[in-house]
Amino acid sequence: MTLTVPPTQLPPAPAVGRRGRPGRISTARRQEALTGYAFTAPTIVGFLVFVLGPLVAAIYLSLTKYNILTPPKFIGIDNYVRMFRDERLAQTYGNTVLYVGAAVVLINGFGLLFAVLINQRLPKALTYVFRSAYFFPYLVALVYVSIIWQALFQKDTGILNYYLTALGGEKIDWLNSSEFAKVSVIIVDTWRNAGFAMLIFVAALQEVPKDMVEAARMDGANEWQIFCRIVMPMISQATFFNITMTIIGAFQIYESIIVLTRGGPGDASRSVVMYIAEVAFNKFDMGYASAIAVTLFLIIMLVTLAQFRLRKSWVNNE
Amino acid sequence: MSSVNFGIRASRTPTRQASREPVIGKTISVALLIIGAVAMIAPFLWMFTTSLRDAAQAYDLPPQWLPTEWDWTNYAGAVSGPVPILKNMLNSAIIAIAVSIGMIITAPMAGYAFARLQFPGKNSIFVGLLSSLMVPAQVTIIPLFLLMRTFGLLDNPLSLILPGITGALGVFLLRQFFLGLPQEIIDAARMDGANAWQTYRLIALPLAKNAVSTLGVITFLGSWNAYFAPSIFLNSTDTATLPLGLVLMLGPYGAGNVAQVMAATTIAIAPALVVFLVAQRWIIASLTQSAVKG
Repeated sequence: MTLTVPPTQLPPAPAVGRRGRPGRISTARRQEALTGYAFTAPTIVGFLVFVLGPLVAAIYLSLTKYNILTPPKFIGIDNYVRMFRDERLAQTYGNTVLYVGAAVVLINGFGLLFAVLINQRLPKALTYVFRSAYFFPYLVALVYVSIIWQALFQKDTGILNYYLTALGGEKIDWLNSSEFAKVSVIIVDTWRNAGFAMLIFVAALQEVPKDMVEAARMDGANEWQIFCRIVMPMISQATFFNITMTIIGAFQIYESIIVLTRGGPGDASRSVVMYIAEVAFNKFDMGYASAIAVTLFLIIMLVTLAQFRLRKSWVNNE
Repeated sequence: MSSVNFGIRASRTPTRQASREPVIGKTISVALLIIGAVAMIAPFLWMFTTSLRDAAQAYDLPPQWLPTEWDWTNYAGAVSGPVPILKNMLNSAIIAIAVSIGMIITAPMAGYAFARLQFPGKNSIFVGLLSSLMVPAQVTIIPLFLLMRTFGLLDNPLSLILPGITGALGVFLLRQFFLGLPQEIIDAARMDGANAWQTYRLIALPLAKNAVSTLGVITFLGSWNAYFAPSIFLNSTDTATLPLGLVLMLGPYGAGNVAQVMAATTIAIAPALVVFLVAQRWIIASLTQSAVKG
């Protein structure tokens, strides 16, 4: 996605002469402008009421103490100061950052690996079957795949431990031990999203000019050199898009944890979004919850803006 | 492994000796791809097989991967249990259909206006709209909750429908499509005396049929799969959507009847499977174009 439009796609600019004479805008042009506003009105109203308004309200609430029953009381940046000594916040943000790191490495790693493998000259039907198999989990709700996985992860009755012990390993308490609870969340997240990353990579790989690769091969470059020096730079835009998507997605991780571990044991696998929901809707500490939510917004905004900015510099366009 | 082609289709190699290497590489690739594909499909297969088995044997080990019997009693049990799964499914369907219909009306109109009409403030409005893509749902959820509470819409499907019927992503997708329409088509309609609405409704919109269908499918699935906002706005089993119903059915710590839960999950996944079989190609195309073509 991009915010800018190639100049050739922009509609013709209005003639300069007309701008200087207000009041003499032709009826047709006024009609067109009115139509433009009418066409965009529902979207603009939706944006104001359900996105921009709530965003501004959240920033305001983050500066107040508010428990729903009594009106919000302005307390300045107290909520933000309070975050620094909130150990549960540190724990949940820590977990979330771990999920983000794992998502970036694993989802994109597996996505790229499978994309490279699938992009070879294989029989068409085979390519189709593989692509479908990898993509399907992405279409299924995270809640549903988590429900399946929590059954597979069960310590005594789950299939994973059955095969693990059959291979001579020890049973793992996937869902209730503080280390493996996080691992389980990461496994499900990777399993569901790698197929999407793969699709993006495949689409990018197909745009790599074959003659350029052929020329490098003629010059004696081996496959690994070709991959590092030609293919990777050529698909950097897709890589960057994927990394951004995985960062944004993993910062918002929520329902898989609810189904798998309920955030436990203790807070061992709890994400920051679960913590926000708990503070807001169980403890009704709306001001503080808003403040935490605003930090999440700032992070996601910075990541998105960084993508737009960096895309122009180090990302290779053509 | 050196013979694996990193992302590049194998070229025809002149000598026989060299041509053997890609074959080995390809075999390894296919083997890896099969392992991956099995890992992707196995959980769904287990779900389906378990849904057809007697509840008492659901956790029998070693696991049976293929259905040994075709016993649909778990499906009957799932829909008649304490959690009204069918009602939940209906709720999900109503919300998802309403949201999709709203979206395929509002987004193409706005997308067309941003692509093809001139009006003051157009570009700033569009950029503002696009910036909403970086506002995560978790930030707006608290004010939205308060808003819905004020208007008495909590525990009401409207709390999910109203915010869902417009959205920047759909506008963006459709704007891209309309930008690609040849100007001559628009001009020809204008010459024939069509006004902006007629040009849109009779000429441009019919051409966007595929883009609009894709948007409809993506919107439907997004709503059908949603968990976060429904879990906060809806709080009774009668208004719950299907994902909420299934989590209730699963119970704390997965204590529910696993065979019935898997039967219900199979039902819940069915729409995704249908979409997948029917519309996979379009969805893949529209998901990848924004990333790669930029």
